[in-house]
Amino acid sequence: MDSYILQKEKLNNFLDSLKEYEIWAPVQKDATTLFEVIRDFQNISLDLNHQPIISKSAVFPQTEPLFTFDNDAAIKETSPKEEKDTIVFGIRPCDARSFKLLDPVFEGDFPDPYYLTRRNKTALIGIACNEPFPNCFCTSIDGNPFSKEGLDLLFTSLNDSFYIEVITDKGKTIIDKASSHLTQAKAEDTKEKEQLAKASEGKIKRQINLDGIKEKLAAIFEHAIWDKFSSKCIGCGICTYSCPTCYCFDMQDESSARKGRRVRTWDSCMFAEYTLHASGHNPRPTRTERLRNRIYHKFKFNIDNFGVPSCVGCGRCIALCPVNVDLIEILSTIKEAE
Amino acid sequence: MNIQKLKDEAKRAIGRKEVTHLIGYQKGSYGFRISPIFIETKEELDRLTFSPLCSLSLVNYLTIEGKPAQVQSEEEKKSKAKKVAIFVRGCDSRALNQIIAEKGLSRESLYIIGIPCKGVIDLKKIEAQFPNVVDPAEVVEENGKYIITINDQTHEVPKEELIADTCKVCQYPTPLTYNKLLGDKLEGNPANYDDIQKLEEKTPEEKWSFWQNQLDRCIRCYACKNSCPLCYCDGCILDKLTPQWVRRSVDTNENLMFHVTRAFHLAGRCVSCGECERVCPVGIPLMKLNRKMEKDVKELFDFEAGKDPEVKPLLNTFNIEDPDDFVL
Repeated sequence: MDSYILQKEKLNNFLDSLKEYEIWAPVQKDATTLFEVIRDFQNISLDLNHQPIISKSAVFPQTEPLFTFDNDAAIKETSPKEEKDTIVFGIRPCDARSFKLLDPVFEGDFPDPYYLTRRNKTALIGIACNEPFPNCFCTSIDGNPFSKEGLDLLFTSLNDSFYIEVITDKGKTIIDKASSHLTQAKAEDTKEKEQLAKASEGKIKRQINLDGIKEKLAAIFEHAIWDKFSSKCIGCGICTYSCPTCYCFDMQDESSARKGRRVRTWDSCMFAEYTLHASGHNPRPTRTERLRNRIYHKFKFNIDNFGVPSCVGCGRCIALCPVNVDLIEILSTIKEAE
Repeated sequence: MNIQKLKDEAKRAIGRKEVTHLIGYQKGSYGFRISPIFIETKEELDRLTFSPLCSLSLVNYLTIEGKPAQVQSEEEKKSKAKKVAIFVRGCDSRALNQIIAEKGLSRESLYIIGIPCKGVIDLKKIEAQFPNVVDPAEVVEENGKYIITINDQTHEVPKEELIADTCKVCQYPTPLTYNKLLGDKLEGNPANYDDIQKLEEKTPEEKWSFWQNQLDRCIRCYACKNSCPLCYCDGCILDKLTPQWVRRSVDTNENLMFHVTRAFHLAGRCVSCGECERVCPVGIPLMKLNRKMEKDVKELFDFEAGKDPEVKPLLNTFNIEDPDDFVL
C-alpha cells in the first residue's frame, strides 16, 4: 500500500483530524511512560528512548465491569457495543504483534464480547523502534523493530518528519481523514526508512535461538534450575502485568448492602492467591512452581495450543524485574540444561 | 569496599558448621543490574560482589513465602541450630532489628556481615544517563564521584547525580547489628524531612490532587509489598476474601485503600530502606508516605524503628505520657 510523509510539527493537526476516535498514546509520568487515553495532544510522549508500558489496557482493561445488580431491578449488563472507535497511537511493533497472540485466546471456545468488540473497534498506529532497548529480543521470536504485523499504520521517525506506511484498510480510513496534512513519500524517504530499519535490527544485542524449546521444556519439568531461578523471585506481578501477551484475569463480585457489580480484573500467575483453592490447598504452593508455570505457559503450552510462543521479545519483564529475574537468561539455561 | 575482604569473610562464614547458606550480591545478567545470590559451597564464593549498584535489600529473602522459618524454639537455640549468613547495609540491619524485636526472626538464627554503606545508586537514574548498556558495567565510588566503566571506557559522574534519594537522607549508614563489620564506621546524615514538610504545608485539596495523580497509575503488582523487608506476615490482609478489605478493582479509591493500609501497617516499623519506591514499575513516590509516618512517629513518640532489637515495637507499647490530642 501507500506511503506518506507527515512533518513532525503537523502531528497535532494530524491527530486533530481524528477527533472522533478515542486516542490512546504514551504519556510520560516522571520516569515512567504509560499508555493512557489522551485529552491533550501536548502530553503525548513519542520519545524513542523511553519504552512505554502496558498498551494492552486499551483493549483489555485492568478493571472491566461486566454487569451491575441491585436489590430491586434485574441484572444490567454493561454493553461493550457502546465503545467508541479507538486508536492506539505510538504502539511499538512488538506490542502490536502481541494482540495477534491475545486474539485466539479471546476468540476461542467462548468468544469474549468485551475484548472482541473493543478489539474490532481499535486501530493500531505503530512507531518503529529506531533505537532498540537493552533487553529487546524480538528478532529471536519472529519479530523485528520495524515489524508491521498486527498494525494498521506504521510511523517511522525520520529527521523532521514521520514516514507513514499504510498496512490495512482500517489504516487507509484513518489516512483518508487526515490526508490534508500528508504528502506522498518519495523514493529517498523510503530508502532512508529502510536504512533505519536495517540499522535498528543490527543494534539488537540480546538474542536466543528458541528452536526445540518446547521439547526441551517437556524433558526438564523436575529440574534444579527452577529452584535456582525462583529463589530470587519476590512473587510480585510486574512481569505479568507489564507483559503485552499475558491475559489472565479473575472475576469478582463487589457489592454493598443494596447493589453491586461483577468485575473482571487482571490476575497474575506469580501471586500465591492465583491457584489457591477454596479448601486451602494450593497446587502451586511456592515460587518455584509459579515461575516454572509462567515459562511453561509461554514457551510450551502456548505452542501446544496455538503453535507459537506467548512472547514477543519486548524485554519488559526483564527491564522491570526488581531482582533481575531474566527471561533470556532462563531460556538460555533451559536450552543448555541436561 | 575491598571485594577480597568481603569474599574472605564470606568464606569464613560458610565455613562455620552452623551456617547453612549465605545471602549476598552478585553481578546481574546485564548492564548495571545486580542479582541476589544464595551460596552454599565455597566454589560459588567468587561470584560475590558489592558496589554502589547493590541497591536491593536482601533481608526479604529471610522471610519470603510467608514462612519465617528461622524462628527457633528455646531448645533449638541451645543446640546451636542452623544459621543463615547475610550481608546487610545500615538500613537492612535496622530491618533485622525491627523483625527481631517483633519476634519474626531470632537473632541466634542469623550470622550478620555488616557493610558500612556510603549510599547506593538509583538504577533508574544511571540507566537514563547511560541507556542501552548490555555488557556488564563496573561502578566504584571515589572522592564523591562514581567511576563507571562500560566496555573499557570510564566515565566520572558526581555522586549527587546518581545516588538514590533515600540514601541522601540516610541517618544510619553503618549497620547497627552485626557479627562482623567490613570496614570503618561511617557518619550518618542529620535527620532531614524538608520534602515531607513541603507536602504537609499543602492544602487538603492539593494533597488529594497530588496523591490522586500518583496513585491513579498504580497497577497493583504488589512489588512494593513483596519487596518490603517488614512485610512478612504469613497471609496478608490484602489477599483476604472474607471480608475483602481491599477490592481487586484498580481505581483511585481501591488504590488509595491499598497504599494507606500499607503505610499504616508500617507505622513505627518502616526503616527507610526505600525498597518499595525502588521497585515500583510506575514510579510512585512511596517513600513520601512512609517518611510522613516516620516523622510523625518520631515527633509524637520519640521513636525510631529498628534501632535496638531489645526495645519493644512502638505499637505494642502504651505509655500514660503518650500524646493523645489527636484522639477524637
